[in-house]
Amino acid sequence: MSPSHHPSEHHLVEHAAGGLAPGHDLVIAAHVTTCGTCQAEVRLGEAVGGALLDALPPEAMAKDALARALARIERPAPPATVASRGPPADWIGFSSPAVDAAWRRRRWAAPGVWVAPVIRGPGRAHTYLLRVAAGMAVPYHRHKGRELVTVLKGAYEDRGDIHQPGDFAENDDVVEHRPTVTRDGECVCLISADAPLVALDWVGKLFQPFVRI
Amino acid sequence: MHAQAANTQVPIFAVWGSPGAGAHVRFMTETRDLSALIVAVAERGDRDAFASLFNHFAPRVKAYLMKLGTTSEAAEELAQETLLAVWRRAAGFDPARAAASTWVFAIARNLRIDLARRERRPLPGEQPAPEQAPRPDAQLATLQDERRVATALAALPAEQAEAVRMAFFSDKPHSEIALDLSLPLGTVKSRIRLAMGRLRILLEEAG
Repeated sequence: MSPSHHPSEHHLVEHAAGGLAPGHDLVIAAHVTTCGTCQAEVRLGEAVGGALLDALPPEAMAKDALARALARIERPAPPATVASRGPPADWIGFSSPAVDAAWRRRRWAAPGVWVAPVIRGPGRAHTYLLRVAAGMAVPYHRHKGRELVTVLKGAYEDRGDIHQPGDFAENDDVVEHRPTVTRDGECVCLISADAPLVALDWVGKLFQPFVRI
Repeated sequence: MHAQAANTQVPIFAVWGSPGAGAHVRFMTETRDLSALIVAVAERGDRDAFASLFNHFAPRVKAYLMKLGTTSEAAEELAQETLLAVWRRAAGFDPARAAASTWVFAIARNLRIDLARRERRPLPGEQPAPEQAPRPDAQLATLQDERRVATALAALPAEQAEAVRMAFFSDKPHSEIALDLSLPLGTVKSRIRLAMGRLRILLEEAG
């Protein structure tokens, strides 16, 4: 099944250009692995990058640069790094060492909820995995700055839309919402936020110091 | 300017075989030429082909990295790493899927990102991301030919081309690119969206 909620064009171009903040880049990459349409767009972006690279006026390399390169290719390649174990099989087929490692460090945060930090920073930015049990709602909240989300497993409902595996969402600072996991099963999302969310009800205010998202 | 950079000024001709008595020059288009060189590296470990790739790409990768604010020394080193990766991963290059320059661009971009992340001190267990196989439905014709992409880029309105160039050659999010161009962010985003849509149409027509 292909996702039905996609990142905007400029996110895909920034991803192809390598210009996104690391956390935002991961969330876009997770969506792109599940989405042929967006993958074609990223490949177009990379082709543009290649054409621009090719048209650049060359910058002279050191005199011995080619000799060094020819010597280096004669040396044996280091053994490939051990592949990480990968994410659980029932997640979307997105493998990232940072995300896989985070999943193994997940910790209980509240009843039905676990959180796993993936990348901290820059500044107050924070990238994490969030698991919420079937039928549960995330406390009512809003955001400071942008928040990017890709569903890795399960589904949630947000303001009338169902977000399913691979679906992408971008929430800006005018959104106030209470995303609710569907009753079919737990939902795991990869989330990258410019700043911690702002709890708008007592439940959120009570739990936020422990959940730290 | 050093000799290697000067060599890259005549990309129409490729020297095949070892230089000297047995060498001959074959006339080819630049695109097929560069792709064929990577295939020669993959299939035969062809050192001469590698040297030609190095002379073409290393000075351009260095220029790309310096445009993004990398120092000359670090750019030189990353250009070396990029071409070393070209040698080691040549078997993963598929000339039917991507142009040589696209493939090399993606390697240089990823190495630059990896370096930036190492400097940021990753969390424990974090490693560079593995390359992921493309989905079968991610098809777009004619991307294996960089000349078509370059021709399509040249056909863009100037302000769209500038917005795209800034996206690739500026180590800044689009919000800061908008500041540099003294434009509202929405305008930069819409120029990029229009440019990509136009490119898609031009390339599909060409196919």
